[in-house]
Amino acid sequence: MYASASFAQVSLDPPRVAVSLNRTYALEAAVGKERRFAINVVPVGQSRVVHRLMQLRRRQPRKAQLLGLEILHDRHEIPYIANALRNIFCEVEQVVDSGDRRLYVSRVIESRINQVLAAQRPALFREVMEAGSRFAPVRRLVRTVLALSGVRDLARGVLFALRPPPPPDIARVTYEMAGATEAEIAEILRYDLVDSSRRLSIPRAPAVVRRRIGLCVVGTSWGSFHCQLVRQANPAARLFVCGQDPVRTARLAKAVRAEDWFLGLEKAVHDDRVQALTLALPHYLHRQAAEMAAAAGKHALVEKPLATTLSDADAMIAAARRAGTILMVAEDMHFRPAVREAVSRIARGDIGEPLYLLAHAGGVRRPRGWAADRERMGGGVLMDIGVHYVRGLRLLMGEPDSVLAARAMQIDTRIGGEDSVQVLFSSAVGWQAHMLCSWATNRGHTPDIVVLGDRGTFHLWPGARYLDYYPVTPRLLPRLLSLARPYRLRDWLVRPSLQRVRVRLPDRDGTGYVAEVREFLVAVAEERQPASHPVDARRDLEIVLRSYEALERGERVPVPSYIPSQED
Amino acid sequence: MTLSPYISGSVIDSAVALLIVDAGTAVNAMTISFFSEGAHHPATVWVSVSPTTYTHELITQAGRFSLAVLHEAQWQIAMTCGTVSGRERDKGSALDLYRSPAGFPFLAGALASTACRVRQTMPLGEHTLFVADILEADVESRSHRRHLLVGDLLGRAQ
Repeated sequence: MYASASFAQVSLDPPRVAVSLNRTYALEAAVGKERRFAINVVPVGQSRVVHRLMQLRRRQPRKAQLLGLEILHDRHEIPYIANALRNIFCEVEQVVDSGDRRLYVSRVIESRINQVLAAQRPALFREVMEAGSRFAPVRRLVRTVLALSGVRDLARGVLFALRPPPPPDIARVTYEMAGATEAEIAEILRYDLVDSSRRLSIPRAPAVVRRRIGLCVVGTSWGSFHCQLVRQANPAARLFVCGQDPVRTARLAKAVRAEDWFLGLEKAVHDDRVQALTLALPHYLHRQAAEMAAAAGKHALVEKPLATTLSDADAMIAAARRAGTILMVAEDMHFRPAVREAVSRIARGDIGEPLYLLAHAGGVRRPRGWAADRERMGGGVLMDIGVHYVRGLRLLMGEPDSVLAARAMQIDTRIGGEDSVQVLFSSAVGWQAHMLCSWATNRGHTPDIVVLGDRGTFHLWPGARYLDYYPVTPRLLPRLLSLARPYRLRDWLVRPSLQRVRVRLPDRDGTGYVAEVREFLVAVAEERQPASHPVDARRDLEIVLRSYEALERGERVPVPSYIPSQED
Repeated sequence: MTLSPYISGSVIDSAVALLIVDAGTAVNAMTISFFSEGAHHPATVWVSVSPTTYTHELITQAGRFSLAVLHEAQWQIAMTCGTVSGRERDKGSALDLYRSPAGFPFLAGALASTACRVRQTMPLGEHTLFVADILEADVESRSHRRHLLVGDLLGRAQ
């Protein structure tokens, strides 16, 4: 889909039209290939939709879906928009190279008028451009009054007498506005015309739990946190607790008002009151526990990472598939409200083309016990914390194609895995992401994720119920303050925080933990696949393992393409 | 009034402009809605003109033309220049024209006037497509008036 004002009729009999299409847009390539297309003339009443289309990223896939436009097909087998003023179905006859655009001279197969909208005229370019502004009607009124009263001409006359304007340089203006040289086009086309690297979709809103199910939390350490989440997600849930130590397990069960408790997973999975389990266990035990749950026909929410090896992950997914049970990974990043909001705003073009992601995770921590053992942990901080940010990266930017990793000196010499690491991900579609995970240092008061695009930047704060947005275009207050003089006063007045737009989020939980558990409970109750699929968690693990490989080899390592199977 | 086929046979409610050609001895102007932007770099427009017209003959000779985009209040100019051939009447003399720095005739009060040099000619049967480079322009970007559309002329003609 493509918004264009550059089209017109070229002949009467047969009726032909010519449309000039930008060579850096996917639509131009599609029209060149398919040789058939529809021009959908938008009525003035829908100028805002076209404005929103123009604000979307050039390479954004599924634009019509994002704009809520209904795409129809009929006997012409050419997709067209419902509710357009006119749909003109065309077949390409000739293509004229015309610089940075290509002119498609096309025969009109059919021109269909929408009688419901016939009283409206087409939206004009200026109306579309103004449609995004809240003050457009006021500006239009002021402009008309000034023009009709002659004040505008008088003011311009005085101004031009004082400082004569240079003659308009149309070539420069059109180039600056949206033109590109051949060299620039070649540079732009080095990356894909459509950003096809985004494969994950995020739930639009937290699920609502409507049925009461029996859920057993397995593990008494991190499991106590799971118990709290279950209580918040669904206070009416039948909660059970499972552990190894009778005193500790009983104490936790009492504290969280559990209906009963079990010693050993065997008992929990075979209890009829339990329909599902959450597995808050050491990483190396995930496979065994998930397989036991599946074998007993019980659904499982397993802590991240899914497993420590891909073969274990595959075995877990296969076991759940065989048993027909749900296997979900507790990946809160997938349900973090700020990530959801940022993904939606990236799609609608708020930051333009996302170019860089900076993730800084961790905080001073000294793991001991199984978590200090490289084998049982599956690695170090990258496996434990980095896996969350890999999911964040995939949601916010897309699938990486290669990875490079390096690290500073080890501070905690009592753990087998790394206590800090930095990773650089690259994508063939043109973005890069830097991730610093550390148990050796403190992040201080900084966002844990920053997404930078050519039109703006997002700051995501851990657990925050808001998102900070810094548009590139100066906001009104900084713009006014920038006029202050002397310069020292201006520098004092104009602060970066004035450019910040704090986007408040409606969610009560800013972390995503509660939404994640709620999603699992609803998936179990409705017997459907959860929004966060285990195959996605396997992919997270695969990327983490590739990062370890890059760290060991000290060179850039390719990340395999992500092609989920039809079954998934 | 007989409705022009360019109004009755229009499949797009396009903007309306005057295609002005300086033939040396006289300036001819023709109403046109078969035109649009060709490219941003190089700045290009295209116009599509019937080979039977006097304007077609003049463009072919001169290899250059001006395109003046009309606003809604200039419908009478469009009507006048769209109903009579330049072979029969000197339409240029009735227009408020001025010269651009390079000597192209521009229309006073138009939303935009552009000076164009033909780069490519493409016969399309009953029309010829002229692709032209924009050499210079005068733009009235602060006008409170909108473009004149084919639909406006249809309303006037009926």
